[in-house]
Amino acid sequence: MKQRIKRTLGMFRLVSFRNPARLLAMALVVFFLVPSQARAAGIGDIVSLLKSITSTIQGAIGGALSGIQMLNSNMNNFRQQTIWPLAAINQAKGFVNSTRAQYGNLMSQVQGIKNNSATLASPTQLESVFRNGQSGSIGQLPQVYTKVYAAVPPPTGARPVQRDMMDMDDALAMGSLKTTVLSDQTTQGMLALADQLEQQSAAAAPGSGPMLSAQAQVADLETQAYMAKMLAAELRQDAAKLAHQNTLLKQSAAATRNLQNRMQQVLSHQ
Amino acid sequence: MKRWSLVGAWKLLLKTLAFAMTVAVVIVMLPSKARSQLGLDPCCAIISAGLSTISNLLSSVVAKPLGQIQQIEQQSANYEQQVVFPVSAINQARAMAMQSQGQFVQMRQIFHLPVASATLPTPQRLEQVLLSRNPGAVPQVTTNYGSLYGTVMPQTDAPQAVRDLVDMTDAEAQAAMKKAVEIDALADLELQAAEQINQQLQTSAPGNAAILEAQTSAWLVRAHAYTQAAMAELVRVRSIELANQGAQMKFSSAHTTTLHSTGSQMLQQGAH
Repeated sequence: MKQRIKRTLGMFRLVSFRNPARLLAMALVVFFLVPSQARAAGIGDIVSLLKSITSTIQGAIGGALSGIQMLNSNMNNFRQQTIWPLAAINQAKGFVNSTRAQYGNLMSQVQGIKNNSATLASPTQLESVFRNGQSGSIGQLPQVYTKVYAAVPPPTGARPVQRDMMDMDDALAMGSLKTTVLSDQTTQGMLALADQLEQQSAAAAPGSGPMLSAQAQVADLETQAYMAKMLAAELRQDAAKLAHQNTLLKQSAAATRNLQNRMQQVLSHQ
Repeated sequence: MKRWSLVGAWKLLLKTLAFAMTVAVVIVMLPSKARSQLGLDPCCAIISAGLSTISNLLSSVVAKPLGQIQQIEQQSANYEQQVVFPVSAINQARAMAMQSQGQFVQMRQIFHLPVASATLPTPQRLEQVLLSRNPGAVPQVTTNYGSLYGTVMPQTDAPQAVRDLVDMTDAEAQAAMKKAVEIDALADLELQAAEQINQQLQTSAPGNAAILEAQTSAWLVRAHAYTQAAMAELVRVRSIELANQGAQMKFSSAHTTTLHSTGSQMLQQGAH
């Protein structure tokens, strides 16, 4: 047995030391075949690396993903249950429809009540023209107005100042009446627009609501502009009324002066 | 001969064993890929177990939550697209803006129909200025007003108090007429702005509608302020009218007192 071991060792010696060239070649082959990192890494390192990857997946990546998932879920629930709950959206749409049904007809009926109150032929005719809300009829207004309030007298019937003032009073009165006809027609248009907007809002979504709201604001701006125009007409009318009263005062002063002059003339003759 | 063959076989076995050991050392020292190619890696089991763990973890810890996130995102996107911001509702709102535009234009045209009604030259001139909606024509109000309603009477015709009252009244009447022209012009500008904003709304999105709404609100505040200014002018007109009535009563009272004292003097003189 001992001999066998010796012989084996001898064989190693034979391989190792008796053929150094062969040994060197083999060592070189081994050296070049093994990369530098692999040379340093062992099984322990591989296990450690695997453990590191596993813990990263479980901790950093898995934890972050769980957090994102929870956040997403919370946000989604918040949007669907708190900000835009479907039930509330449908309830609001239903509310719009029920409000329309509740007030729409009633308001139309009130708006549609005819306030015409004249009893005689000419006033009835005039009233029907300026209350019909049809801009096409304002051409008839001067004619029917004159039937009720008479025309400006001819030059022989009054002094020029008085005729001018009468004409101006008539003009502003008629102008304002015409403006009310135009305003009534515009009001009808605005009411129709408001109705359409309300109808649209019943079919709107939270996303399109601000668009309709902006349109309603634009319509409000238009209404405000027409309101200003009506106010301008009222201003013209009141200013003319004031000017008329003032002119009467001026004429009264002139008449007093004339009376005084004539009295002095009469007294001086005596 | 037999002994020789045994020795030879033994040597051959030893050589083979030495070669196998060398190869084994080389294989152990080779990188994993090289080893796996040969299928002789002793670490294969460990690596396989590790990779299997990683794969399981990727499935359970990464892929599963990612799938759920995708599902939530999809559900959220569907909800927003179908309930919150449905394209059909957005397009309907835009169509509504287009429809409104036509109605706005029609209303503006109605309000531009002529309402002038004066028949004589002097009133026509004043009326033309008053209905012009042109702030540039405001200075003409004074001239045309004077032509129609006259100017303050001369000192010889009335006491100073009456002349003051007449001048104040003329001033307020003219101011109100001028304000009416200005308000008309401002109202036209408001209508133009409203139509422009409405045109913007026709191409707007839910995201920028709030901006346009804010702009319109600002215009509304402005419009209310102008209306308030016109109301103030109207209140001034009516205040002057009221003041005139009061002043006339005062003048009348003063005249009565004067008449009373003069009559008393005359009666006293007659008694003497």
